[in-house]
Amino acid sequence: MEQVLKIEDLSICYKTDLETVYAVNGISFSIGAGETMGLVGETGAGKTTTALGIMGLLPERTGKITSGKILFEDQDLCGMTEHELLHIRGQKISMIFQDPMTALNPVLTVGDQIGEALYLHNQDGLSQKEIDKKVEETLEMVGIPKERKKEYPYQFSGGMRQRVVIAIALVCNPSLLIADEPTTALDVTIQAQILSMICDLQRKYGTSVIMITHDLGVVAETCDKVGIMYAGEIVEYGTLADIFTGEKHHPYTDGLFGSIPSLTENSRRLHPIEGLMPDPTELPKGCRFAPRCKRCSEICRQKKPPVYEENGHQIRCHLFSGKEDAR
Amino acid sequence: MKNLKKYFHTSGGVLHAVDDVSFQIQKGKTMGVVGESGCGKSTLGRTILCLNEPTAGEILFHGQDIAGLKKKEMNKIRPKMQMIFQDPYSSLNGRMTVRRLIEEPLIVNKVCKNKQELKERTDQIMETVGLAPRLAMSYPHELDGGRRQRIGIARALVLNPEFVVCDEPVSALDVSIQAQILNLLMDLQEKFGLTYLFITHDLSVVRHISDEIMVMYLGKCVERASFEEIFKNPVHPYTKALLAAIPIPSVESCHKRRELIQGEVTSPVDPKPGCRFAARCPYATEACRQSDIPLKEVAPGHMAACLRV
Repeated sequence: MEQVLKIEDLSICYKTDLETVYAVNGISFSIGAGETMGLVGETGAGKTTTALGIMGLLPERTGKITSGKILFEDQDLCGMTEHELLHIRGQKISMIFQDPMTALNPVLTVGDQIGEALYLHNQDGLSQKEIDKKVEETLEMVGIPKERKKEYPYQFSGGMRQRVVIAIALVCNPSLLIADEPTTALDVTIQAQILSMICDLQRKYGTSVIMITHDLGVVAETCDKVGIMYAGEIVEYGTLADIFTGEKHHPYTDGLFGSIPSLTENSRRLHPIEGLMPDPTELPKGCRFAPRCKRCSEICRQKKPPVYEENGHQIRCHLFSGKEDAR
Repeated sequence: MKNLKKYFHTSGGVLHAVDDVSFQIQKGKTMGVVGESGCGKSTLGRTILCLNEPTAGEILFHGQDIAGLKKKEMNKIRPKMQMIFQDPYSSLNGRMTVRRLIEEPLIVNKVCKNKQELKERTDQIMETVGLAPRLAMSYPHELDGGRRQRIGIARALVLNPEFVVCDEPVSALDVSIQAQILNLLMDLQEKFGLTYLFITHDLSVVRHISDEIMVMYLGKCVERASFEEIFKNPVHPYTKALLAAIPIPSVESCHKRRELIQGEVTSPVDPKPGCRFAARCPYATEACRQSDIPLKEVAPGHMAACLRV
């Protein structure tokens, strides 16, 4: 399959005068055309930083890509000038932000905000009328009556605003869409509507999607491939089936599943992961997960675990390296 | 609690936040309240504790109606009824140390006779909720969400209450931390025989912790039953839709088309008579829009407000 985006050994850190935060540490993955990749992890795992890195939206003074490549349609985005990036961002790669309440400009009508992306990337030389028409089409596509294009964001509910944000992201027909927790701020019934809409649109236009979320249920419903992130690393990576039904798992993945109350089984106790995320300014020397891991041994504290791979299912853990039947 | 109502008067009309809700909770049990944002869950929780004056109805606590009590009398009862707040980031005073925060309810209610006793009780509750003694002198901003929520729990429990309203205590936390806090709440319930009113929008959480579940929609209770009944035999179309909308973390469920309800929650300001859910309900008929629909018992202990049952 044609690769739309390929990330190789990407590291991002935030530098301030006082400290350096290692937010993303050597992650690699790739997405084919029309695929959905899920990035799962807790707060501070580096999911959003990865997304901002791809978009070239890291805070200018502090955020820095220290190593690695982001290959988008065989071009390295890291080496591009701001001017070159302008032609890609918003047109070929676009992003849906987490919080629809703050992502929109309150003093512009939603029609103007959707049209803005078209003005800026007007390669086909569309006239004002054609742009207006395209805006109306896009609004209908995301399920908002076109009469509402003259309204302001405050007149819309949360779910409707998220639809507007999605319309802005999709109006230029991007080949890659980054959805950063698109439904976290919404109610379940609205979440289900938005997710099914993203899936429908993706099928219709063959867009690739990176779905960033902390909800494993959302991942199960939407994604083809999954990367589990912990402290800036992808600790487990594989197809949906690998992660949800596979035999071998990273202990962190097991912990995540153990923390979710089940809807079908009656268990009176959950099995959470003890302890907290490590401080990203001083990460543990060996395996990042070692201090919280129940199956941690001496080698885990000393050496960084290599990647164990089986049919594309990658696990970054000492348990599996070398001794395949360690479980 | 009987026929509790809470209306807010707004410039646009009367907002029916909680409309004619009745239920009772047995000692040592947990009642879960589920619903989407704006359905009146939090208002219900606050009204039960008389943090909002109820517009009508009775709140019986051990048989005593506390709805119309004077402030002085209420202050006597309040230590028995406590609340854990939703957001551990904004519900703690950032200029107080952890020890001071936990002491505060004891000082306000003049429970302790001397400083020694005060210190002992604070230390004791910190241990109970799993806060290390070394954190006593830190400030909330130095701690993460899970620890802050533990402070919130310690503050609620330090007065040995009987009844605790938990208003979305875990929704601001990550899943692994959420599981730690849920386990803690359940351990504490067992240990002290606490009674919870557990407010949340997360159905898997509510199923895990509750004995009985109440589903609310626009200020009305639409269905109430034991947690097993609600998940096995949901009757009301809204409950069914809510259950269908949860993304399930397993492969079997993936890429499956589900029946979704369309539209959004209508305004609770001056609602029309009839079933509040009628505007989104696929089965709604003329009769649904005519008059309010009372709760009906469909099975022992299983109540639902729908004409179709």
